[in-house]
Amino acid sequence: MEVQESGYLAADFFTHSYRISGHVDVRRRALADILNDQTSNFIPLEDAYISPIDRPGEIIATYSASNLVKSNLTVIVVSQSNDALPRKHTYGSYYGTFLHKIFLTVPGFEVVGYLRLSSNLDLRRVLTTGTDEFIAVLDGRVRNSLRPDVTFTGGGVLVNKRHIGALCMAEEE
Amino acid sequence: MARILVIDDNADLLQMIRTILESRGKHEVILSAEGQDGLAKAKAAPPDLAIVDVMMPGMTGYEVCRRMRADPATSHVPIIILTARGQEVDRQAALDAGADLYLSKPVTMAELQQHVDDLLARAPRPEAPGGVMALLSLRGGVGVTTLAVNLAATLVRQGEQVCLLDLCPASGNAALQLGLRPDPNWSALALLGTPPGSATIGTYLLNHSSGLRLLAAPFVPIVGDGLPRETVLAAISALQQNFAALVIDLPSALNDVTMAVLDQADIIGLVLTADPPAIQATVGTLQALKPFASKVRIILNQVVPGPSSSAQALQRVLRQPVNGVVPFDPAQAQALARGQPLALFSPTSPLAQAVAGLIPSLRASQGRPAVV
Repeated sequence: MEVQESGYLAADFFTHSYRISGHVDVRRRALADILNDQTSNFIPLEDAYISPIDRPGEIIATYSASNLVKSNLTVIVVSQSNDALPRKHTYGSYYGTFLHKIFLTVPGFEVVGYLRLSSNLDLRRVLTTGTDEFIAVLDGRVRNSLRPDVTFTGGGVLVNKRHIGALCMAEEE
Repeated sequence: MARILVIDDNADLLQMIRTILESRGKHEVILSAEGQDGLAKAKAAPPDLAIVDVMMPGMTGYEVCRRMRADPATSHVPIIILTARGQEVDRQAALDAGADLYLSKPVTMAELQQHVDDLLARAPRPEAPGGVMALLSLRGGVGVTTLAVNLAATLVRQGEQVCLLDLCPASGNAALQLGLRPDPNWSALALLGTPPGSATIGTYLLNHSSGLRLLAAPFVPIVGDGLPRETVLAAISALQQNFAALVIDLPSALNDVTMAVLDQADIIGLVLTADPPAIQATVGTLQALKPFASKVRIILNQVVPGPSSSAQALQRVLRQPVNGVVPFDPAQAQALARGQPLALFSPTSPLAQAVAGLIPSLRASQGRPAVV
């Protein structure tokens, strides 16, 4: 038995300037599916806890309900890798048996982690194929570009493709 | 078995943690769904450990943690922060707020229970109940009896078996403050040929409806020395067999009896007000009590209305930490007139709250930070 919220997923949402922690109702759809749903520009969040990005441990405001604008989100960090994947890719799916280490940048952050793909890594295809706005980076580490001592790690990091400045194939260690 | 306070806004989680800690850990679990309520519960009856969520409406867990650390009543309580904000910066924020341990969700119940057990085992705990607390001031009128009565009453509210001994031969009025007629009282003990045993002393105790027992002082002032030293020591020894805690209201004199009681006491609460005669008397008393220095605790009691006295300034004068401050409480006059101590009949009053906060500070080992 685990101590966690049932039916709600705790996640850290990052915009250029803020870290917003809260809970997303994932009883019907996975977080990745909610983010990539083209019919809504917003994601509803329960219990939003807001921290400025230069002081990410300090909670400056709390709100019981809020809506986040998907297009302004740069990265989202969740603790379990499965929570970053679309539902069709979880629960024993054979999709994506190849893990490719990547490095990418979005405004304010650098992200290192793994892309799970069904083939070899083609950097161009990752950015152009499909209609999904957010891609899942597994075992991700998000580093604040201006404060390299501040990092966020998670089993999964969802990255907004529109905000990616550079996507690089990283050398395996 | 420990008392564990869990503060989390998730009702399902609260119940799950309660079930596990009660059934597997055999702990007593107190639940609270939000920070303000959790703080009030912690202050009213300080737990042995608190588990606090960070993300709660109204007040974050960090703030709960900071306020518990700042409050003398709860400053010693080990705190586990349990949160879904699981980043390194969050761990640092939790430790900066005063948490002893940081756990990020999800955490398994076995893991949580292990951490609870570990923290309880290594926590600097207040000295065990069962102590003898003697309250004293060489300056009259500083509220020693009021504090002794409310201290004893608070301990009773916290579930301890407590006996209050009023040893003031001239002005003892503990019975009056409890609304009791001081009959029987200890004056008859002086006439016994032999020191009283456990059974004998029991027949001289008054019963208060709260469960507090009182060895009352006689209503009419005693001419002479009061009880002989041997009788007092025998009475204390006998009462220790039946009560977890003894609270003793001592007369304003460092005579043989007082010194013998101070020698027996585990904690000596030296009470003063912020006026120069009381401070001067306290400086002198501290000199006289040097052999007992390790068990002396200073209590600043504000018995008149007005601006709060500076405990820091007092510490500089006394060169000793002030372990607790009891504010002036206008309700005390009425409580005295009615024979209803605030600790029992108005536990949320400033005086009752301050006295509850005093207990951990009094019982804490010497060398812990001064609480002012």
